[in-house]
This record gives sequence, structure tokens and C-alpha cells, in this order.
Amino acid sequence: MVLNPQKMISNKALTVWRISGIIKSLIGWAVTGTALFLLHIFDLPFWISMILIVLGVLFPILDIFVIPMLRWRSYRYEVREEEMELKEGIFTKTRTLVPMIRVQHVDTNQGPLLRKYKLASVVVHTAATAHIIPALEEEEAEELRFFISKLARAAEDDV
Amino acid sequence: MSDSKRLHPIVSILTAGKRVRNILPFFITILIAGGRESKLSLLISLGISLVIFILTLLTGILSWLRFTYRFEENELRIEYGVFVRKKRYIPLERIQSINYTEGLIQQMFGLVKVRIETAGGENEDEAVFSAITKEEAQLIQEYVSTAKQESRIIKTVEEDQKVFSMSTSELLILSLTSGGVGVVISAVFALFSQLDDWIPYKKIFGGLEEWALKNIMAIMVVVFIGFFLAWVISLFITMLKYANFTVVRTEGDFIISYGLIEKKQMTIPLRRIQAIRIKENILRQMIGYATVYIVSAGSGSAENQEETKVILLPIIRIKDIAPLLQESLPDYQLEPILISPPKRALHRYIFRTWYVIVPIVLASILFLKAWGALSLVLFAVGTIWAILKYKDAGWCLEGKQLSLRYRTIIRTTVLMQKNRIQSLKMRENYFQQKRELGTIEAFVKSGSGDSWAAVVDLEKGDIQKIYQWYSRKRPKETAG
Repeated sequence: MVLNPQKMISNKALTVWRISGIIKSLIGWAVTGTALFLLHIFDLPFWISMILIVLGVLFPILDIFVIPMLRWRSYRYEVREEEMELKEGIFTKTRTLVPMIRVQHVDTNQGPLLRKYKLASVVVHTAATAHIIPALEEEEAEELRFFISKLARAAEDDV
Repeated sequence: MSDSKRLHPIVSILTAGKRVRNILPFFITILIAGGRESKLSLLISLGISLVIFILTLLTGILSWLRFTYRFEENELRIEYGVFVRKKRYIPLERIQSINYTEGLIQQMFGLVKVRIETAGGENEDEAVFSAITKEEAQLIQEYVSTAKQESRIIKTVEEDQKVFSMSTSELLILSLTSGGVGVVISAVFALFSQLDDWIPYKKIFGGLEEWALKNIMAIMVVVFIGFFLAWVISLFITMLKYANFTVVRTEGDFIISYGLIEKKQMTIPLRRIQAIRIKENILRQMIGYATVYIVSAGSGSAENQEETKVILLPIIRIKDIAPLLQESLPDYQLEPILISPPKRALHRYIFRTWYVIVPIVLASILFLKAWGALSLVLFAVGTIWAILKYKDAGWCLEGKQLSLRYRTIIRTTVLMQKNRIQSLKMRENYFQQKRELGTIEAFVKSGSGDSWAAVVDLEKGDIQKIYQWYSRKRPKETAG
């Protein structure tokens, strides 16, 4: 009865998320390494080190391989004349409706990683909430921002 | 149009006083630190404190001197700032409401504090006059209302209507059922922990344990009296705060005024109301009373947070809400008939509490042995609470209104109009999906938080119904 939104975000998002997963893991390992060193010096029980090592293997696997894939696969969006719809979430699936007349302004954001891959994220603000479409192709994001702000302006209404 | 005016001179002292209060901990620290070393260092730190104190007074006077306001070209023009000079021009028609507060000091001099609010969501968009004469306040009010009337073409003359005025017995019920006692008790504890350095607890409580065992009854009596006193104090605080609570409806506003020592008056434009929240704490729920809040889209500066969630009726019999407010809020269905979550949702409500409680109970039984069994009480209370949460959850769609009810500790019913809802979410996690349940979340605008309502574990079909109601897309006949 309720149709799902159809559009997917750029598949380059996968690469970007994996790279940021790698960076996160590197930082994580640096911290874990320091912790292991300290644990060794202060002669604390070995099982604490064991747990840290296991986590140090598990989290990178999740961050680099599993989560980006699931996240990318589960994300959908759709922008219609009168409203915008988002679907996201791996374990908890969330669907959000944002009517155009409620949109206050639209931003596009681009960090260094996103810029390198010519991607951008679009953030749609209402008076109460903010909604992100992560990792669209640059031109697509620009177009979308333009499109949404045009629609939002057309549907001027009091708050 | 009018000359530049200043606030009442008392403002310089008020400002200085506020600043002194802010740096008071600093004074105390350097005095204590200095006093410990030697007489000389004490003298030096006293000197430093004095210089800072005088400087603060001076900047207080300066900032009063620099603060001027005037009405010019249909704008309220304010200039202020000692080091950085600022100008703020507010177009009169953009002014949303004017609120008045009379604190103790203002009352002593027959003055009033005026806050002017505009529509913008940013803190910058408002003006505060900390103390001006009542005549001056009247003048401002007149300026603003004439300016607004000029821009409005039609003005229907309508009598001001008294919507609600709290009776003494209602004030008493309000105070008796308020949770203020907790605040007072924690304040007392905080005070004692601050006095740690001054009172030689160790000496006093040296032989505490033996003594305590002998006098367990006496201790319990003292604790009981302490709680009782705290409760009485909180009772009085509530009574003073909400005494003379009245709500008047004018042409397009609610005017709310209350307070005995500090008198407050607030104007809430009816068309700025974003949602209505009806809250019942357990005590009030048992005797059929509730508190009604309005969520208003005022500007949300930090000191203003209270006012974005305005108390409209501090205490009211549930069945009186609709008769009192229906005329003023014709769009709202104030007695929604709610649909509950399905039976199969009950054990999800219970399990969700158990996830948190069972580990605690097990741990305390494991480590505390016999005494740990007391945590079973926690288990029972938690379970009852979960059942209550299930029973209280509900939703209702009626015309253009979505009503949601949920319980945290207090039971809350939120009434929202479709055109005030900023966005809507439906979510389902893995377990909910298996049982065909879902969660609905709706957001409205307000200056601060509390602009949100969510109900967990409703029937999936019901959730989709709400989602569809909010969607602007025409549902396709063929879609399955």
C-alpha cells in the first residue's frame, strides 16, 4: 500500500565510506596500540588485552566492509513536487516524510573525501528538523538543491 | 518620531549585580587561596577583588548609559554596548509578542521588565528592557499595537475574554501534586556538599556508627522531618509562583499572567501555536487532573526556553479542558478518542524494560546476597511501569489533526495539526518487523526542544495509515 522511495545514492559513496572506515580503523589501532603498551607496562591482566585485540579486528571489519555495504544498499530517497521521502537504516528501518512547504533552506556539504570523488551531501532543513541525503554526484546534488529550494519557495506558507 | 530613551537607572545596579554574581565563585576562590598563605596575600587578593568589583560596577553604569532605544520610521531602534557598540533595528510589524515580568526589585520601584519577541528562530531577534516604568511600558505597547493595526486591514473588535482563572483549591491541588519536592531536596544536598570545607563532618560524625545503631529511630524521625520540611517549602514555592494564574483571550492572543512575588505576563499569538501537550503525572492522573502546555514558535534563546513550552492551564480537570479551550482553539479536537497498540505489543513493552532491569536485579542479588532481593521491588515496579506505558500508548487521526499519547514517567498527549507538523517518521526494527509493529514520530517547531512526539509498537497498518495521511502523494489504486 505504501510505496517505497526508489532512488539510490551514488555507488561511489561505498568507496568514500570505506576510506573513512580505514581512517577510523587506523586511528582506532593507534589508540588500541597505546592502550596495549600501557597494559603491558602496568602488568594488567591479559584478558583485557585480549578483548582489545578482538575489538581491534572486529570493528575495522564492520567499518570497512559490512556497514558501508549495508548502509548503501538500504538508503533510498525520492523528491517529489510536494514532498521528499527518505528511507534509511540497517537494523532499524526509518522512513521520513518532509513536505516541501515545510522546507526552510537547503545546504550542500562537501568534505575533503567527498570532494575528491566529486560527491556532495544535501541537507534539507525544516523549522524543527534536518535531513541528510549523503553522497550524491556533485551535479546531481547541485540540481537537487536548486530543485528543492525552488519548490520550497513556490509553496510559501506560514510556519 | 520619538527621542532616545534610557532604561531606569536601577538597571546599572541590576546589571552590575548580575555580573558580580557570575564572578562570585572566582572571588571566593582567590580569597580562600590568598587567605591560606599569609596576611599579605590575603590583603592582595582582597585588593584585586575590590578593583574587579569597582570595575564591574562601572561597566554596569556604562552599559546602562549606552543602552538607548527609540521609535523611528516604524522601527524599534536600540543601541547598546560598551566596548563594541551595537545597533538593533526591529520593524514593529515583525514583533510577535511583548512579555512582562515584575521581579522583587522591579516591584519595589514600580517598574517592569519587558521582553519583545520577534518571529525569527534566532536569539538575536529580540529585545529585553530589564527595568522601565509602567507608563513607558504602556507607551511601547501602544506603539507596537498601532503599528500592527495599520498593516492589518480588517480588525474585528472583540471583547477580551477570560478563559481561565485558577481558584484557591486548584492552586492547592497544583502545589500538592507537583514534583517540586525533589528540587528542594537536591538543593539542600547540594548546599551541604558545598559546605564540606567549613563544617567538620569528620569530628561530628566520628562515633557515628555506634551512635546510629542506638538511635536508628531518632535518625528516621529527623530524616522524615527533613523531607516533610522540604515538601512544605516546595509547596510554598509552587503556590507563590503560580498564584493568581489567569488566561485571557484577546482578538488573536492568549494573555497569561501569574505569580505573587515575581509577576509574569506573557502574550502568545494563537496563530503561532504549534501543538498542544496535555501532561498528567501519576498523582494528577489518579484524581483526574492534568496540565496543559502550548508549544509556541517563539524565538528560542537560552533564557527563554521556558516560554516556548508555555503552561496554559497549570491544573485542570481533564473533562473541563475541551469546554474551556474549544472556543479559542476551534481547529483542535481536544478530546481525541485514541486507538491502542495491539495486544501482541504488550510483551515488547515489558521486555524493553526487562533488558535494563533484569541485569541490575541479577547483579545485585549476586553481589549483595539477601539485601539484593530488595531489587525485586525494582523489578515489580519496572514491570508495572511497562504495562502502564503500553496501556497509555495510543494514536488518533481526526480530520487535520494527529494526536499521539505516550508515557515516559508522565503521561503525555500531544495534539498536532497537519500543517504544523514539520516532518514525520515511521520506523521498524528487526523485531518489530517480525511482529508487524512500528514506531511513529512527529516533529513540530518550537524555540527549544520538546517539539517531538513518538509512539512505539503500534499496529503496522495503523502506522501506514498515519504516514499516508501526512503524505501529499495520491495513493495509487494498483499499488500493493
